[in-house]
Amino acid sequence: MNSVRSSEGEALLIGGASQGQAAGLLASPALLRLLSIVLFAAIWEVAGRVPVSFAFPTFSDTAVAFFGLVADGSLPKAYVSTLQPLVLGVVLSALLGVGIGTLCGLSRAGEWLLVPVFIVLQAAPVAAFIPLVTFVYGIGLTAKTLAVMILALPVIVLNTYKAVRNVNGSLLLMCRSFLGTRRQEITRIVLPDASPVIFAGLRLGVAAGFVGVVLAELLITPTGIGDLITFHRSRADYAEMYATIASIIALSTLTLVALQWLETRVFRPEKRGR
Amino acid sequence: MIGMTRRMVMAAALAATVGGAGVLPAAAGDMRIAFGDLPGIESIQTLAAIERAKERGVNVELIILNDEDLAAQAIVSGQADVGIGAPYTLIQKVGVPIRMFTQISTLRFFPVVNGEFYKEWKDLDGQEIAVQARGSGTEAVMLLMAKNHGITYGSVSYVPGSEVRRNALLQGTIKASIVDAANRRALEAEAPGKFILLPVEDLSATDEGLFATADYLSKGAADVDILVEEIISTAREITANPAAAVEFRNKYKLLPDLGPEADAEIAAYYEETAKAGSLPLNGGIDAAADDFGFFSLAGQIEGDPASLKVEDFWDTAPLDRALAKLGKK
Repeated sequence: MNSVRSSEGEALLIGGASQGQAAGLLASPALLRLLSIVLFAAIWEVAGRVPVSFAFPTFSDTAVAFFGLVADGSLPKAYVSTLQPLVLGVVLSALLGVGIGTLCGLSRAGEWLLVPVFIVLQAAPVAAFIPLVTFVYGIGLTAKTLAVMILALPVIVLNTYKAVRNVNGSLLLMCRSFLGTRRQEITRIVLPDASPVIFAGLRLGVAAGFVGVVLAELLITPTGIGDLITFHRSRADYAEMYATIASIIALSTLTLVALQWLETRVFRPEKRGR
Repeated sequence: MIGMTRRMVMAAALAATVGGAGVLPAAAGDMRIAFGDLPGIESIQTLAAIERAKERGVNVELIILNDEDLAAQAIVSGQADVGIGAPYTLIQKVGVPIRMFTQISTLRFFPVVNGEFYKEWKDLDGQEIAVQARGSGTEAVMLLMAKNHGITYGSVSYVPGSEVRRNALLQGTIKASIVDAANRRALEAEAPGKFILLPVEDLSATDEGLFATADYLSKGAADVDILVEEIISTAREITANPAAAVEFRNKYKLLPDLGPEADAEIAAYYEETAKAGSLPLNGGIDAAADDFGFFSLAGQIEGDPASLKVEDFWDTAPLDRALAKLGKK
């Protein structure tokens, strides 16, 4: 607990120092970020007005469409159904993935049996698998959750496996020379030392999960976000279609940012302030 | 030096990409036709008409796309000349200058219910049904029938793929749905007597039609006329003698991937289609009015069907010329 507090203090100090040093715009990264978003919106607006294609709406039309979709409840409703397979699939993948990855990293047998499977899965063009999933698991929530997992699981397993396999040897030697048990070795040395790479894998896994759920909703049955995209495309409501696509990209990005924040905040306090 | 070479290679690659993306104008006598779907047995008539147009000197290139929307976009962007589909929404909403000019076939869908639970349309009042997709033709047919029979469905679920709905019907996961001709026959073969076919009245909306930009319709008029004439005469020949479909297939070696065993299926399909009269004998010269009613119910066209103008969606000039030559039936 003490170490957490002291590093919080450090973070404040460093934060304060950097604010003092930098001048003008650079003082506030938030402003810079805002500026980059504004610039992006402006380029989009111009491209929409040119227009690049008859099917490419302007930024302002898309924004209006977005608020329309929120106001009439169709976007919130779509997210309720999209988030079910997404959250279920990502949580299952995270638990299973870290578990399997750790197992593979710790035991030779596990490595030989399981790692090749996940390497193949990661290398495979997964969208081609999705029709196969429907043959076995039908068209319901199971199939969609599975589609999320097929995309998210390999990257989580492989990252965890590599992280566990490449744990600092001298730390392990230290643990053994202090007569640490195998259990202590894993919980106190291996997992903490592997955690940065495991977290990187989890973030990649969540991003892949978003890909999986949208693919599933476009390829299996049109529900949620996939339904809004296909429906508005078939109706030639391109602004609504882009608003939906932009909203899922934004949600995915925000989720990743939040995960990173959570990681430094809760699990790895030593990383803060860097 | 190496940097220089690399830069040149990059520039050449960029130039190639930009140049490749640019649209090359079609020479006279060339026609690029975009299919919005993989051609199946129901495309024999279209493919045969295209072959016959080729025999008459039109240099047709077929482009197969995965989706009807893509076909429409290919037409708008000039990457194809003639599209196959019924892009009413696009014509109305996007205001792109494309027009339908011939009807190839009318919608043929079959509402099917599990006989254990339902017997007729009235039984479906308040019940769950499954259709292709939101705003699809299958949904519109079901809604039209509900309107005609004064019923409302309990809920409508969306299950893309007639074969998926067929399997779900056989497994019992859905009890009422709507499938295409091939899957209706499969249902009858796999579970004889288990399902009841509900009657569909007053349905003559366009399933597939030809469309092109107004510009191409005037510039490529000679080629368009040949294609339209062949579409009409193929439809007439098949309607008069359904066995002609299989003859066309063998003569022009159409759909070779399906193998010789598809002949029986093609014969059965065209026998039935001809009997139902769903191949337009006059190229759908009067199709627009029926389509307006149907597609506005399907939500694909906005506005009162009575106030919509045919010329905003159709260019009937090629059909008029073809019918003047072939005679109206």
